[in-house]
Amino acid sequence: MTIHFGEWTIGLNGEGAPARELIGGKAWSVARMQELGLNVPPAFVVTTRACGAFLAGHATPPGLEGEIAAAVAWLEERTGRRFGGGPHPLLVSVRSGAPVSMPGMMDTVLNLGINDETEAALAEECSDLAFARNTHRRFLELYAHIVLKAHAPALDDGASLEAWHATIAAAAGAEVSREPREQLRRAVRAVFESWNSRRARRYRQHHGISDDLGTAVTIQAMVFGNLDAHSGTGVMFSRNPLTGEPTPYGEYLPRAQGEDVVSGKFTPEPLSALAEELPETHADLLAAARTLERAGRDVQDIEFTIERGQLFFLQSRAAKLAPHAAARIAVDLAREGLIDEEAALMRITPDQVRILLAPHIKRSALHDAVTLASGEGASPGVGIGVVVRDSDEAEQRAHAREAVILARPTTSPEDLHGMIASRAVVTEQGGSTSHAAVVGRALGLPCVVGCGKGSLEALAGRTVTVDGQAGKVYEGALAIESPDASDHQALATLGEWAASRSPLRVSPPTSPEAREAVDLSDNDAAADPTRIGEVLRGLTGARGARGGAIASDEGVCAALAVGLEFIVAEPVLPPLLSALRWKSEAASSADSNERV
Amino acid sequence: MNETHLVLHGLAIKKHATPESVAGILGLDVSVVRTTLDKLVEAKRVVEAQGKYLLAPAARMALDTEYTPLYEDVRANSAFASGYEEFERLNATLKQLITEWQTFDVRGHRVPNDHSNKDYDRKLIDRLGNLHERAERALDRLASALPRFSIYRHKLGAALEKAEDGEIAWVSDAKIESYHTLWFELHEDLLRLMRRERDE
Repeated sequence: MTIHFGEWTIGLNGEGAPARELIGGKAWSVARMQELGLNVPPAFVVTTRACGAFLAGHATPPGLEGEIAAAVAWLEERTGRRFGGGPHPLLVSVRSGAPVSMPGMMDTVLNLGINDETEAALAEECSDLAFARNTHRRFLELYAHIVLKAHAPALDDGASLEAWHATIAAAAGAEVSREPREQLRRAVRAVFESWNSRRARRYRQHHGISDDLGTAVTIQAMVFGNLDAHSGTGVMFSRNPLTGEPTPYGEYLPRAQGEDVVSGKFTPEPLSALAEELPETHADLLAAARTLERAGRDVQDIEFTIERGQLFFLQSRAAKLAPHAAARIAVDLAREGLIDEEAALMRITPDQVRILLAPHIKRSALHDAVTLASGEGASPGVGIGVVVRDSDEAEQRAHAREAVILARPTTSPEDLHGMIASRAVVTEQGGSTSHAAVVGRALGLPCVVGCGKGSLEALAGRTVTVDGQAGKVYEGALAIESPDASDHQALATLGEWAASRSPLRVSPPTSPEAREAVDLSDNDAAADPTRIGEVLRGLTGARGARGGAIASDEGVCAALAVGLEFIVAEPVLPPLLSALRWKSEAASSADSNERV
Repeated sequence: MNETHLVLHGLAIKKHATPESVAGILGLDVSVVRTTLDKLVEAKRVVEAQGKYLLAPAARMALDTEYTPLYEDVRANSAFASGYEEFERLNATLKQLITEWQTFDVRGHRVPNDHSNKDYDRKLIDRLGNLHERAERALDRLASALPRFSIYRHKLGAALEKAEDGEIAWVSDAKIESYHTLWFELHEDLLRLMRRERDE
């Protein structure tokens, strides 16, 4: 059984997961990992029941402070560290954890437990003064921002501790406690209070979630990947997220903390480097990847830290995948029996397939292509047209059915109409977060940014081909080609599975049936996904349709709603997937209607 | 602030705009905007096309010269200046956040976010909410000097709430008054008043 420190607090010791409603999503996932036999940094949880009592009485419920003290002592015992003191200080993270996730809950506070004394102890323990100092500064910034909700400026690394506290006190309007136990009490209260934040209340009201659920607080020991040569931190995917190959892929940074991996300041080593240094740990990691993948029935993205040779799992969640990998993995997982074929078809979206099958420049055409400009590829796709330097002109010429490419020094909201009218957008200045990049992606428009000051001036009036993936602008109209679903083995398989289950037939234009379809190509309303439903409802006696926006998600849904037997489209897989999603949503809403 | 200037300013931000959208962003009565636009069309300072209005080139140049004298007090106002500085700081975070919303990193490759990972989207919308709370404080300071800035606070909040409720187009769709669309209009508004240039 899990350890109960009293009425409000539970220690997670790996012996069965308490109810999610009681301990919240975060602690629940910690307990789940423990159940799978994985080593997780020790943690305890202040339950949602304590939150309810706190909010009802506007005060810390009786006994909670004593329970937290006992639970901290339990953490100290399990970690061999001491909270608020040396020589081995215990630092903790404090997280909110509601039974269902919602916006507006308190952000995570890290490294709570650091003060003047423990900073010195930590510096000694990891032989790194700067690290301990930096940890202290980041803790104070987070604490001021999240717990005190003070609008404090960034703290200066070179300033004294006194100066840091003075800066925060000035912004918060009160002295900040330097006592870790008091900071922990304040942080727990702040989590409880965030349950009633404006955003959280509004969200619950809108989604019919009870205000009585409350949030739990998870307090977990921090582990250090920078203590010695047998320490480090890394991330691992149970399969390759870029190619989909069924081999684990990971990166490892010896003598480092988690933030070093994401900062990009250091170049991590491949996981295989760990196989030489710590072969047993490496083997444990690979075994854990398989375990987590089977339990989650999906590719896992796993964060881990090794502290003095001891492996800790920090987090595991479904991995984000490149479209190509998503297709291959969906098929592989079904073949391995982790999921069924229906589930595999839900793992890949119509948009991912559209990206995979999007037209690209013919390889042979690239051979002699002249590059007129190059920059950062900010939004994928290929666009061909005449270069125009002004948004008004772009709109006018596009209106006259000319294909135009908008080339600007930069773009701003004033250029939106010009961007919408263009086949691609190219800018001289700005990076992947610039207006052109952001809006280009929002519009699904090929976009190349940052080609260099003045680099596009000479292009006005010339016909070019823009490759938004490669970040290139080529002279002339290059030949393009569309990949075929049969070029991708996984897509071909998914296509067969989808066709046998779809409530709507999708026929290629070359099929005999295609001639029987009502052609919507000349209907302006049918070209608009938001209006194609009206058009289809007006058809009588039609069995199938083609043209306009019929292959879009909206077109497919409208076709199913009016009871068409088939549509004509190429490629066939995206509309098939849309139809399957429609069917699955219809089934689940029928389900919930029955329950009501 | 006279209505003619405000309507011209609204058109400079909204570009091809209906009277309703200009009125909406400025907090003016639609009938007032319509009357002003009619006068401006007659004076050839504004052009009408299919129910939408845009600035004539000469009117745009004339408008650009109005900001320096008209907003001298606003620029000198310390609350406004600090609100603007905070906005610029938040702008860097917002752009990064929207980029992560639209694309994610897979082993160093940026891949378009197809929004199939609900957990990823939910975390980003929550971060947008945190950023919005800071933006609200900046907007309050801006509005203390120029009350119409509270309209952005209201509209940004409305876009955020729709996104939180699952209508994710309200994060960055360029064709509606999404969070990102409004944010950029707000930025354009501020750059004009402050006589600054966009840096990219």
